[in-house]
Amino acid sequence: MNWPSTPAPVTQLPVDRYLAEVTARLPGSPLAHRDIVAELRSGILDATDAHCAAGLPPAEAVQAAIGEFGDPAQVADGFRTEVAAGLARRAALVVLVTGPLVGVLWIVTAAASHLAPHHQWADLSPGFQVGVPLVAVAAGVTACGALFGIAATGRLTRWLPALPRRAPGAAAVAGFGAIGADAAGLALLGVQLATAAGTLSPWPAAAAAAASIARLVFARRAALRCLAIRAGLT
Amino acid sequence: MRAETLKGHLDGILLAVLEPEPRHGYSIMEALRDRSAGQVDLPTGTVYPALHRLERAGLVRASWSTVGGRRRRVYELTPAGRRALDTERSTWRDFSAAVTALLQPQPLAVSPQ
Repeated sequence: MNWPSTPAPVTQLPVDRYLAEVTARLPGSPLAHRDIVAELRSGILDATDAHCAAGLPPAEAVQAAIGEFGDPAQVADGFRTEVAAGLARRAALVVLVTGPLVGVLWIVTAAASHLAPHHQWADLSPGFQVGVPLVAVAAGVTACGALFGIAATGRLTRWLPALPRRAPGAAAVAGFGAIGADAAGLALLGVQLATAAGTLSPWPAAAAAAASIARLVFARRAALRCLAIRAGLT
Repeated sequence: MRAETLKGHLDGILLAVLEPEPRHGYSIMEALRDRSAGQVDLPTGTVYPALHRLERAGLVRASWSTVGGRRRRVYELTPAGRRALDTERSTWRDFSAAVTALLQPQPLAVSPQ
């Protein structure tokens, strides 16, 4: 139902204060809460209009509306799982999508630098024979964690039991996997620079290293944030 | 009716309220009160996270629209939401028939002398 709108100045301050109390209890940045704030605000204003139409003066109507919306802690409790799921899903998606991109840059670097001149495993130095499987295992962990994190925050939640800590946990695993894969790739680059720097093709190597460092920084931040979010959920 | 009493049934109730037409958050709350003759009166703020959860599960679709100069997030059932509502209804019918039968007063057994 559309009620006549209540004058804005009377409602602004108490509504802002209520919304601030809700969002202070939520994980993530104000950007992650933007839609929640907008939606709750329009709902509180609808409720205020309804109370005004029922005869309350605007200042009392807005207080009644806020009371009707409930304790900010209780509202935040409900939203915390949703915000956590959104943040975990985004982190898992970024880690999953950037993995193959960074991987291609490393493969181009290896090919341009003729690290395996006859395309034989035996052509690789012993360091690479250990390092490459490590990267592959870390990439596998990343992909599994990310895919599970994405599945646990989307349509599959219809059939999965509600476990709020599952998605941030899976996203954190994906983040740590990505840290491992990128750190191993950079370590292999270090080995190559120390032992046979002349064979390296500089531009692809620089691009791959820059991409891996950027992904590592993002993955570290995302993994730690997901762990902190997970710890705040029950 | 308190939130704890509705636990496990809120999703089905929200889907049922959205079945006839798309609604925004506050209008959903008004419909809950009207259709339950005031029996269901949850803190309104707790209904919004439940709607977000249903959206994430693909059972409702949400979109922003401006009505009467105010931006509102409007929810509507998806085909999967309609199917989930049918399942909720049939589960509820079976559950409620079983509980009604169990709560029926039984004649007292006469103890043998």
